[in-house]
Amino acid sequence: MRVTLTVNGSQRTADDVWEGESLLFVLRERLALPGSKNACEQGECGSCTVLLDDVPVCACLVAAGQAAHRRVVTVEGLAPRGELGPVQQAFLEAGAVQCGFCTPGLIVQVHDLLRRTAGAGLPPPGDADIREALAGNLCRCTGYEKILDAVRLAASRLPVMP
Amino acid sequence: MTTRHPPGSPGSAAVEFLRPRSLSQALAAKAELQDALPIAGGTDVMVEINFGKRRPAALLDLTGVRELRGWQRDGALLRVGSGVTYTRLEAELAGLLPGLAMAARTVGSPQIRNRGTIGGNLGAASPAGDCHPVLLAAGAAVEAGSVRGARLIPADAFFLGPKRSALADDELITAVLVPPAPGPQQFAKVGTRNAMVIAVCSFALELRPGAGVGTGIGSAGPTPLRARDAEDFLAAELAGSGLWESREPLPGAVARRFGELAAAAARPVDDVRGSAAYRRHALSVLARRALGWAWDSYRKEGHLCG
Amino acid sequence: MNRVEARDKVTGRARYAYEYPAHGVAYAYPVQAPVASGVVRSVDASAALAMPGVLAVLSCTDPPEIGSGDDPELAILQTTQVVYRGQLVAAVVASTLENARAAGRAVRVDCVARQHDVRLRADHPGLYTPEKVNPNFPAVTEYGDIAAGLAAAAARVDTTYTTPVEHNNPIEPHAALAVWDPGGGLTVFDSTQGPSADRDTIAKVLGLAPDRVRVVSPHVGGGFGSKGTTRPHAILAAIAARAAGRPVKVALTRQQMFELTGYRTPTIQRLQLGADARGRLTAVVHDVVEQTAIRTEFAEQAAVCTRAMYASPAMRTTHRLARLNVPPPSWMRAPGECPGMYALESAMDELAEAAGIDPVEFRIMNEPRTEPDSGLPFSSRNLVGCLREGARRFGWADRDPRPGIRREGRWLAGTGVAASTYPARRRPSRATAEASGDGFIVRIAAADIGTGARTALTRIAAETLGAPAARVRVEMGDSALPQASLAGGSMGTASWGSAVVKACEALLKNGSSGSADTAEDVRADAAFARHAFGAQFAEVLVDSATGEVRVPRLLGVFAAGRIVDETLARSQFIGGMTMGLGMALMERTGVDEWEGAFTGKDLAQYHVATCADIQDVDAVWIEEDDPHLNPVGAKGIGEIGITGTAAAIGNAVYHATGRRVRDLPITPARLLR
Repeated sequence: MRVTLTVNGSQRTADDVWEGESLLFVLRERLALPGSKNACEQGECGSCTVLLDDVPVCACLVAAGQAAHRRVVTVEGLAPRGELGPVQQAFLEAGAVQCGFCTPGLIVQVHDLLRRTAGAGLPPPGDADIREALAGNLCRCTGYEKILDAVRLAASRLPVMP
Repeated sequence: MTTRHPPGSPGSAAVEFLRPRSLSQALAAKAELQDALPIAGGTDVMVEINFGKRRPAALLDLTGVRELRGWQRDGALLRVGSGVTYTRLEAELAGLLPGLAMAARTVGSPQIRNRGTIGGNLGAASPAGDCHPVLLAAGAAVEAGSVRGARLIPADAFFLGPKRSALADDELITAVLVPPAPGPQQFAKVGTRNAMVIAVCSFALELRPGAGVGTGIGSAGPTPLRARDAEDFLAAELAGSGLWESREPLPGAVARRFGELAAAAARPVDDVRGSAAYRRHALSVLARRALGWAWDSYRKEGHLCG
Repeated sequence: MNRVEARDKVTGRARYAYEYPAHGVAYAYPVQAPVASGVVRSVDASAALAMPGVLAVLSCTDPPEIGSGDDPELAILQTTQVVYRGQLVAAVVASTLENARAAGRAVRVDCVARQHDVRLRADHPGLYTPEKVNPNFPAVTEYGDIAAGLAAAAARVDTTYTTPVEHNNPIEPHAALAVWDPGGGLTVFDSTQGPSADRDTIAKVLGLAPDRVRVVSPHVGGGFGSKGTTRPHAILAAIAARAAGRPVKVALTRQQMFELTGYRTPTIQRLQLGADARGRLTAVVHDVVEQTAIRTEFAEQAAVCTRAMYASPAMRTTHRLARLNVPPPSWMRAPGECPGMYALESAMDELAEAAGIDPVEFRIMNEPRTEPDSGLPFSSRNLVGCLREGARRFGWADRDPRPGIRREGRWLAGTGVAASTYPARRRPSRATAEASGDGFIVRIAAADIGTGARTALTRIAAETLGAPAARVRVEMGDSALPQASLAGGSMGTASWGSAVVKACEALLKNGSSGSADTAEDVRADAAFARHAFGAQFAEVLVDSATGEVRVPRLLGVFAAGRIVDETLARSQFIGGMTMGLGMALMERTGVDEWEGAFTGKDLAQYHVATCADIQDVDAVWIEEDDPHLNPVGAKGIGEIGITGTAAAIGNAVYHATGRRVRDLPITPARLLR
């Protein structure tokens, strides 16, 4: 089947999509966007986290057809024109990146956490909120401490809402 | 090995992808293609497809069916559409169905909760489904729709066995009908990790002041279960001793006995997540604790009705 | 400085093995043996071949041509004899990944099953003593009079600890892309910890000269040992590409990784320890039982750490193996030290209690002056410093040793300590350095599997050259670069750093370029016992009724030579400690004895620690200036963090509850049993 969707702001079309195929497969294999990683295919690791109509989801669990005519943002879409987004910048500065395979999913998930926090005019998330929000993004390298540092750093730079 | 739809052949047209835009379209599609597999959040279905365990003749995508996506009051009941996600159960129903919100919060990860739905949880009919104990405790009914009409299946008649439900081949789960919590609800779960766990066992409790008690057990039998003896025992104790009215502290012996009866209702097996003996023990603890917390909030908040 | 490749990783631009584009690429999907022991009678590929896009089916009933069969794991599809469930018996090559997977599942493998044996037990009739244990240690050592030492002891323990099958589970599944060029040369984009060794192995297995093979691997999504040796997927990619006449990608699924990429052997470890009335060890016995595979021997060196730890007038360490119908065990982060230190440090806690001595002081009392087993001097040894510093930072001084008495609501609280250790070795490597424009390019076939090697080597080169790091570019992750040792054994920085320093020094002398080979330097290294040491402290809370365990605090204090980059080092230590927490409380692969199979082969069932399982984990280090190591002065930090963690947590659980769970992981069910 043909699937047309908006990815990182551009309309994209994939042809010959198998009906049982995941959005992750479409992104990686058909649209040349390998930033979202394939590591478990069961929603357990969070490496494939993308925004689907602004909601973070595991792309491996979204059927390709379910993403038709919807908006998808991947890690590649968070650094338009090569400028790092605030979460990416904080991960870089805090040393939150090791092997990098969980990083894209984490970047998207943290981006969503901070955007929702700022959008609701809430104070920066506390450690418990952060740990809860990131509980579905497995990292085997860092032990998560530097990732927490990065989230705190990015949160501290959020624009202060009136 | 021959089947109507040969295994594999993803490049062929063996799998159809159906996107109904309305409930009537969805029911018509399900009637026409009864082995079409409904998919909403995909958190169970896609795993099976990704792992090659399942190659359905058709996928029936319910995410475009507006009628399934909301919840509202329906007379004395709440009507929760099957497409309501765990995230929304947690955010929007914490007041009306606190036990369900608690259970939803323990499901998987935020990403899973953003996608997974109450209908999908029911449809998978796993003994470990986190919503199930609460729906049993709350006396919910599952609304099954088909072109033949809608029918209500009481939650405690819905689960027939591991991954088997009372749903007919041409039916879709359209909603859950459940009374707003008439009193405190609790949900408790034991897992080996602090997040992202399938329950080793779980327990849900609803207190109905002056009227009775509901319970539900998860991950400790071939289906989610009610602990009927525990319900009867506690209801009798609360009524007989005038505790509903007096709101006196619950005697320790009552809580203990309640825990024992809850554990006795389980039919657990040994598996990698835990032994049968441990599950029984943990259930007695969870039931006792859930009762303690629920009774405390009944006493403190002066719950009369939802 | 920030991690050199971090920008590529946070933007999703960093390419991993599977993600390289190749014109006309096809996909191979492995088909695995459905029995644990037996013979493949036939492989029926007719249904698969009839499916769309299928290009070829490879099968062990029609063995593809290879060069060397020396390594039975890599001589894929060469025999119909099945010795473990999941062994590669066929593969489908198809035009798309989906077609390959679907067709792979349609291949019918008909096996005659034989009786299998997958259960490791201490009384297994087939137990034997291997000639050597990994990498090249004697399997058995003994000195002194054990019987007399135990008989004379005022306090003694005789205790057995077990650890389960554990899987490395790097987040990136193993993958390879193989591309043959028209001249018969082969390029493999592989997820590997060592491009040079991977190239040599692939060349040998395929019967090619090493210079006909190139391995490209700039980014690797973790390995933890599982990518330290060539794995069957890389050979499969090459053979399938040859068969299909097109480039071929192979991406193992998470499930396939459990059988095809190694794991940590389960262990059964008996410790007999004695101490005299003053708390001095009188005898140490560490007997290890482990498993290995039918065709491949891997002997985990679990008792080797004991040879370096504590002074004792008598010591025996032994390793025995059972050959079972299991996939070959292999390296997993700190092979040997990780399970060995778990058992030793748990037993030391038991003995400290039996002797009525604080466990920190007990370890300090038994500090050796030279390496107990070899008698060699230590190049440096700061275990005592780590214990003291850790005790101070952790607030150990006021600890009441009595178990099971601290209640915080429904929780029982406890604290525990354990020592850590890991050898500090280096291996020969080569490097070149070249002045280029206003900067420098350093080249070495090292691998950055997430450790930060690229960043550490950039710093090391910049320091040697006296140039800002921004003007130094390190090229690595490609076997076409100067030959380098593995990213393994915590030897990367020491081995590669030695070569990089030497190459940069040569450049400084000559002005434009320099090259280095450290083979002679390594051979000439003086005889010292070289080890990093550490001390780990854990605080736990145990739900008194359900047995659930939480770890509110972990502190590691390490002495690991010079720390090249503080940010990288802290993350490596903490990452190791967190994996140790997982080992203590949740990591385990099930074994179905009836089916002869691993069970729970996915991340929903093989639990690793999540963000929510961690609360306060910290790692610090003490300054250590060791002149006997290497030009960098570093001991290596990738593995020591996981050693001792599980013991510290287990000891804390005992302190909290009074229950000593001697089988990992410490699950609620085991705590309440």
